[in-house]
Amino acid sequence: MMTTACLKDVLLDSAREVFETMVFMALAESGENSPAMGETALLGSITFKGNLKGCLAICCDVACARTIAANMLGMDASAELGEADICDAIGELANMVMGTVKSRIQNELGPIEVSIPSVVRGRELKNSMGEGASMVTVMADIEGQYTAEFSLLYRSGPSERHG
Amino acid sequence: MGKSLMIVDDSATMRKIIMRTVRMSGLEFDRTEEAGSGVEALEKLKIGPIDVILCDINMPEMNGTEMVKQARQLPTCAGTKIVMVSTESAQDLINQVLTDGANGYITKPFTPEQFREKLTPLLN
Repeated sequence: MMTTACLKDVLLDSAREVFETMVFMALAESGENSPAMGETALLGSITFKGNLKGCLAICCDVACARTIAANMLGMDASAELGEADICDAIGELANMVMGTVKSRIQNELGPIEVSIPSVVRGRELKNSMGEGASMVTVMADIEGQYTAEFSLLYRSGPSERHG
Repeated sequence: MGKSLMIVDDSATMRKIIMRTVRMSGLEFDRTEEAGSGVEALEKLKIGPIDVILCDINMPEMNGTEMVKQARQLPTCAGTKIVMVSTESAQDLINQVLTDGANGYITKPFTPEQFREKLTPLLN
């Protein structure tokens, strides 16, 4: 069974790989306990099921999301980006981080099915799976400019629980 | 004669990223098209042939594996090279989609070098 510490390493390494390859920004673990959010934040989530089931999420403020989207699209940070473009980029980011996490854990945990990503905008956004769920959180510093929270909310599926 | 490319992905952002990565890879296409779903891609393929398709797997309405199966039934798609571009990395799935008619597979996140490496042999 994968430990929480192991999943945290997988989550951080996966986020780092995606940022280096697709966002062209350096990402490192931050010492902060919570991201310095502006008034509103974006939460990109993607659910998964298998011997581990749950939800991977990325939460950051709008300025951070705008910069991430601009970098992914190869545009200047000051470029006009619509809300739909920014949300789409954050959803794809969640999708790619989840895909990278999945590729690193499925040898041990077996096949994992992943949903289509979704993105919401609001304040104090959090995913929940009720009691008994575990959560791994990585607070990440992006280029020394922004903070984003990556989280993996999960519980064991049938074969891990009984097997 | 110039080559044509179609990018099939439900995310407009990802379609733009893929297009940019193709350009960064140094590969050149005279004509490029986009489709936001497998259904839209099949409609476009019925109109005329495309040389290369880069296709996502996890899409609503019709996923990429189903699109490949149906595309291979079309006379206009006989010579089309189809490369899947997906976060899915399970070897069983990759083998299945190659059996169903795809010519290659690129996992997200990707680099321009990976595009060049996978697509160049298919273009010659």
